[in-house]
Amino acid sequence: MTLQDTNTAAARAPHIGQAHRRQTARRHLAGRGRFVSDIVLPRMLHAAFVRSPMARGRILEIDTRDAEQSPGVVRVFTARDLNPSCKPWTGTLDHFATMVSAPQNILAEEEVLWAGHPVAMVLARTRAEAEDACELVMLDIEEGEACVDGHAALTGDAPRAAPGLDSNLCFQTVLETMAVDAAFAGAAHVVEGDFTFGRHTAVTLEPRSVVADFDAASEQLTVHHGTQTPYQFQDIYARHFGLAESRVRVIAPDIGGSFGMKLHLYNEEMATVAASLKLGRPVKFVADRLESFVSDIHARDHKVSARMALDAEGTILAMEVDDMTQIGAFSTYPRTSVAEGNQVVRLMGAPYRMPDYRGRLSVVFQNKVQTSQYRAVGHPIACAVTEALVDKAAARLGLDPFEIRARNVVPDDAYPFVSATGYSFEKLSHEACLAKLRELMDYDALRAEQAALRERGIYRGIGIAPFVEITNPGAAFYGVGGARISAQDGAVVRLTPSGEVQCAISVTEQGQGTETIISQIVADQLGVAPEQVKVTTGDTDTTPSGGATWACRGAGIGGETALRAGRKLQGQILALAGQILQSDPADLALADGHVVDAQSGTRRMPLAEIGRIATYRPDTLPEGADNSLTAAEHFAPSGYPFDFTNGIQASLVEVDVETGIVRLLKHWVVEDCGRIINPLLVDEQIRGGVVQGLGPALFEECLYDETGQMTNASLADYLVPMACEMPDIVIGHVETPTNDTILGAKGVGEAGTAAAGAAALNAVNDALSPFKAEIRQTPMTPLRILAALGHV
Amino acid sequence: MELEGTQELQADPQTVWAALFDRDVLERAIPGCETLEQTAETEFAATVKLKVGPVSARFKGGVELSDIVPLVSCTLSGKGSGGIAGFAKGAARVTLEDLGETTRLTYSADAAVGGKLASLGNRLIKSTAQKLAGEFFANFEAILAEQAEPAPVPEPAE
Repeated sequence: MTLQDTNTAAARAPHIGQAHRRQTARRHLAGRGRFVSDIVLPRMLHAAFVRSPMARGRILEIDTRDAEQSPGVVRVFTARDLNPSCKPWTGTLDHFATMVSAPQNILAEEEVLWAGHPVAMVLARTRAEAEDACELVMLDIEEGEACVDGHAALTGDAPRAAPGLDSNLCFQTVLETMAVDAAFAGAAHVVEGDFTFGRHTAVTLEPRSVVADFDAASEQLTVHHGTQTPYQFQDIYARHFGLAESRVRVIAPDIGGSFGMKLHLYNEEMATVAASLKLGRPVKFVADRLESFVSDIHARDHKVSARMALDAEGTILAMEVDDMTQIGAFSTYPRTSVAEGNQVVRLMGAPYRMPDYRGRLSVVFQNKVQTSQYRAVGHPIACAVTEALVDKAAARLGLDPFEIRARNVVPDDAYPFVSATGYSFEKLSHEACLAKLRELMDYDALRAEQAALRERGIYRGIGIAPFVEITNPGAAFYGVGGARISAQDGAVVRLTPSGEVQCAISVTEQGQGTETIISQIVADQLGVAPEQVKVTTGDTDTTPSGGATWACRGAGIGGETALRAGRKLQGQILALAGQILQSDPADLALADGHVVDAQSGTRRMPLAEIGRIATYRPDTLPEGADNSLTAAEHFAPSGYPFDFTNGIQASLVEVDVETGIVRLLKHWVVEDCGRIINPLLVDEQIRGGVVQGLGPALFEECLYDETGQMTNASLADYLVPMACEMPDIVIGHVETPTNDTILGAKGVGEAGTAAAGAAALNAVNDALSPFKAEIRQTPMTPLRILAALGHV
Repeated sequence: MELEGTQELQADPQTVWAALFDRDVLERAIPGCETLEQTAETEFAATVKLKVGPVSARFKGGVELSDIVPLVSCTLSGKGSGGIAGFAKGAARVTLEDLGETTRLTYSADAAVGGKLASLGNRLIKSTAQKLAGEFFANFEAILAEQAEPAPVPEPAE
């Protein structure tokens, strides 16, 4: 046998970096998924809600008598029945100083604050019976004046969006450097623009769903909940309903998509838990599509005015930005609705050396569905505004879009670097990504083709957009503001008596392959194949407490936790093997399911033998030997507050200038997410993210009329991006691992969404440039494009 | 949402005007009307069953007549609640013009809907409203024509 160096990364990590299919894929494909929607328990009741048809009004009367007599109905609850059992929740955090929001409770008490606000809950043997009874609840609401538009809501005499507010301003902040005014005064060029970003929503395949099951005899509450963050909900249910945390178990089984939408607290989930506590029976709520549109959080809804100062050579000197974001009648709990706008004003100009900056954020209440964190929180807005201005400056200066960016990105050798908005970047790779993208898309050939086609009246456009993405957040995100949201994660890894491995971990799986990458990481620490590592997630009773999955932290933080737990167990196994084999553990290693000689790779004993001896024959071990084959480890990120990633995207479009219809021809992404654990899943995340970025750029929008009614709350009218409209997405990688962790992985889940819309916006404007037309509003609907062209 | 229309009716303004205030005529003419009660001289309470796209509901509501210029014009304003289907409200200005043998009725309405009706039926609301207005006038005209015919002479008893 040849000598093997088992200490090199490649030899010790044969599975990290390899493409492995998602372990859940086969089960889901076979129809063996187990979603909350599938759960049926004995004596279970189904819930349906009576909702306010008005955006704002005062409840005069709720008459439930007819509904109570309806077939199959067990109970009808109003605020008077349920709200006293629940401590109200308020969506503010201390680190957003001066922010305000009205307290919320389960059902509307005296006033309704958006069209869709739940007013009464009907519990029946079937959902159909509950829905039928909802029609019999007579609701008398005196209509009030609704706040619909954010600018109008800020005027002094505007009606308040919620009771108890002094104004409709939820939060305001200004971020600025010393010399921003001087930079603008001395600039050779100033470009500016006003932008509007519509509301859209997650439209998950599986809607929000929950089954609450309270057993009064054991005082045990079990909640089967389609959420990303089971521990957060365990804490919320315990605190708000006054239960012992250990008697609250939250189980998140298979989840049909979440995208940030399923980590917020909703009235319906609280009502379901409250009803189960009251009746001592399991209660199920699964939102239908219409309810989802008027109760799931919406995203974005920004109006931004921005300008950028440049010197005569095209060097960016400063940006000044004013973002007004409209969030509904309340700030969402427990993460607030301010984080989105906060990230918008802090990510402006992030890829560039830009020394000066002023950003003003105003977060405004209105009588619509709440907005809050959704995939790529704030990123698409900051990226679209910045990159639209950069393109505008390039056109003013006669520079190619690649050239102006090459002159301004933070050079790859200039790190660590602190941005004008105060973000610390450990190491990014903008220059490498720019170069790689240019080659990947064959940029010069595309420009030549574009020019030739224009001669024939075909208007194609090319848009590029570098981006910076926030991943692996520490406690700076929420914990410092007083939110009980964990920034750390935990893993328990054990060797079974048969020599296989089980890992219970706090990061969760929503279809992105979390369990698969965790198995790869653990496998490499213990010298087994990923198939031999069974990963358990999403159950607060059987996994350690942790932050779970949000803000691109699963791979970077969860992966590091698994790695450290795996190494700890590796140490225990080697120590035990050393005693059994009479060898120094330092001379041993784990590979191919065996304890091997670290130098030669010679097999010394199978892991199954370690498991057998430790479990069944500990009496044969030397006295004092530790037979523990379970290791627990918790990991909290330290060092940089976030691990930033970067990349660049490009979009090729064709605009029909007669109809305003945009065809997406091709899309490119070059991405640097640090160490790649599973290239197949990374590319899946990027592609899915790009689609969720292109959707709101061209199709998706929650439309409201002037009275605050959402007018397209069905999939007949709300346009989700479909496969036939999506372009091929070509992906390239640059790998710059973070030195904050052993694993070196950063997040990748939001990168696609961060810049796809910005690239498409720039591409459309490039296509429209021969007409001196410009579009500054998303989604870029055919009508808006025709308006930009002056045709309508 | 704004709706406008004109209709030439085969009757003189006096007949049309009287019919517009006649509970029995209105009950028969309003599409889907299940009950109509006159609660005051110029006020009615109605129950109407309607279907707008995927939403069907029984609306309970009231209609009030105001700004009355006899034989010339009046404003009808109404509001109806359809339970969880949502609500509808609006006002219409109706004007009559004497064309001799016939009467031209012109209406201009502003209506709003809320709740499920707005969310699901928005695309269909205007076409549904126009269809309902058409049905109303067809019914109204048929009733006027019926009234214009001499009452059938009963067969003499043998």
